[in-house]
Amino acid sequence: MNTSKQARHDAKQLLKSCRVAGDLDEAKVRQAVHQVIAAKPRGYVAILSHFLRLLKLDLARRTARVESPVPLTETQQAAIKSNLARRYQGGLIFDFAQNAKLIGGLRVQVGSDVFDGSVEARLADLGSSF
Amino acid sequence: MSSILQEIESQIAGVKTSVMKQNVGVVREIGDGVAKVEGLSDAMYNEMLDFGGGVTGLVLNLEETEVGAIVLGDYTGIKEGQEVRTTGKVLQVPVGMGLLGRVVNTLGMPVDDKGPLLTDKTYPVEKIAPGIIRRKSVSQPVQTGIMAIDAMIPIGRGQRELIIGDRSTGKSTICIDTIISNAHLNKAAREAGDKTYRPLYSIYVAVGQKQSNVANVIRVLEEAGALPYTIVVVASASDSATNQYLAPFAGCAMGEWFMDNGMDALIIYDDLSKHAVAYRQVSLVLKRPSGREAYPGDVFYLHSRLLERSARVSEKFGNGSLTALPVIETQAGDVSAYIPTNVISITDGQIFLETDLFYQGVRPAVSVGISVSRVGSAAQVKAMKQVAGRLKGELAQFRELAAFAQFGSDLDAKTQAQIERGKRIMEVFKQPPYNPIPIEVQVSVLWVAQNGFIDDVPVDKVKDFQGKLTDFLTTRKLQLLAKIQKEKALSDTLTAELKAAATEFKQTYK
Repeated sequence: MNTSKQARHDAKQLLKSCRVAGDLDEAKVRQAVHQVIAAKPRGYVAILSHFLRLLKLDLARRTARVESPVPLTETQQAAIKSNLARRYQGGLIFDFAQNAKLIGGLRVQVGSDVFDGSVEARLADLGSSF
Repeated sequence: MSSILQEIESQIAGVKTSVMKQNVGVVREIGDGVAKVEGLSDAMYNEMLDFGGGVTGLVLNLEETEVGAIVLGDYTGIKEGQEVRTTGKVLQVPVGMGLLGRVVNTLGMPVDDKGPLLTDKTYPVEKIAPGIIRRKSVSQPVQTGIMAIDAMIPIGRGQRELIIGDRSTGKSTICIDTIISNAHLNKAAREAGDKTYRPLYSIYVAVGQKQSNVANVIRVLEEAGALPYTIVVVASASDSATNQYLAPFAGCAMGEWFMDNGMDALIIYDDLSKHAVAYRQVSLVLKRPSGREAYPGDVFYLHSRLLERSARVSEKFGNGSLTALPVIETQAGDVSAYIPTNVISITDGQIFLETDLFYQGVRPAVSVGISVSRVGSAAQVKAMKQVAGRLKGELAQFRELAAFAQFGSDLDAKTQAQIERGKRIMEVFKQPPYNPIPIEVQVSVLWVAQNGFIDDVPVDKVKDFQGKLTDFLTTRKLQLLAKIQKEKALSDTLTAELKAAATEFKQTYK
């Protein structure tokens, strides 16, 4: 769907108004969506669609997805959390997942940054070097 | 067997085992060779992207939530949701002597079935033009071998001279003639062991042309023995708009290598009208704001940054040069259209080809009145300047008088003589394609024409007279031609010899 410039601008303003000290406030987001639906301003569907996209991008930017072939222990998870929090100055949402395809090692993705220390990635590297 | 083992061992050792940080994104939209990618927060302008499967892209738009990239190569295999990685590299193409005699595509990959390129050097496609400190004014000539151009609109090494005209008026032919002429000069100098001669290598960039046309150009160059001194870069009409947009920049990078290494190169962009159209297409798909005729606002900068890269650099920086001959196709002779005016203002002059002249049989159909070379006269060979110094003005005067004479008015003897001389000089300037004339022959023929030796030759016999005179000079007066070529100026002695030769020929001419 083509979103108009005005809708994109309004969605961006809406997102800005939902921030508290730089981080998104869930309660404010919910409230904003309810208010927009209730008020039905011109092009509100486009505004909300773009708002949703911006939310998704913001969430992806703040989500640290940690994949490992076997489940990580509490200590390992805590170590990873503290390391990443130091690097990205907090505000991260952690998502620990299991991925047997990795064979060994870890794959961490924070926003668009990927730290791939998995055996699968090294094998792929080796494969491409031949 | 042991060598294979060693090779594999070294390759395994070469693979880094440390964790590398990569920046990735996801394809949100793909179409017409342009992809919109979400993520890629570290992507840089003009950075290459890895789409996987050997497909690369180039970042052209950096937006708030996404990156707009053009895909180089086959984009049909790219799917929405596919992962894309940044590479930290800018687009580069192979450069060097190993490319001479080869036909390559926009990415510098050979398309001529002659095996891999024998070069390991690369240059970035986008580069900042040499600055004012590095530059030097134009002082050495480019011999096009076309008498009308070498005499009246001389081109110097490092100059940007636009070739403009309607379709089928001989724009490409002039470019091919120039390549052939310089290839002949390079070959002759090499065979003679002339170390003082600076060879001029050529790069022909075909943008948006029919494959059959490009094949024809390659065939002509091959037949004339000019291909070993030429690189052909092809982004034909069947290539994607992105490849057509990048082709002139890739060719320019190849030419810059010669310039940076103290050599001289000539680059032909055939043509920049189609290049602007390809860029318009890319820009519209990238949803950049459009301006006049739907071209993006930076279409002027597109051509100015490309043509500014042609320069003559000073001795301190290698003394190399890159001469550019951009080609622009006009519609119904309209030179005041958007892209033609842009390129006219960027270049150091233009050669305008007229359809009417072409169909009148004046070929090359150079319109003397509005063709100009702003800096080339400084590079013109002195001998040519001596014989053709006033020619442009005289021909322009002839055109005016000829138009006036059409009204049937009575003309005085002087005007009549001027018109008759003009008609004959026009005949002298007619030249068949792919047949460049050496500068010493041009000087001799023009001297003969300027000194009244063809005044009594009927107009329809002038070409015959010129042909026979050329044969006479090249077979019986080789020493005289060699002296003109060597001295590059007409001294009193040479003029006397030329007069004697012309008189001798005139006595035998029937």
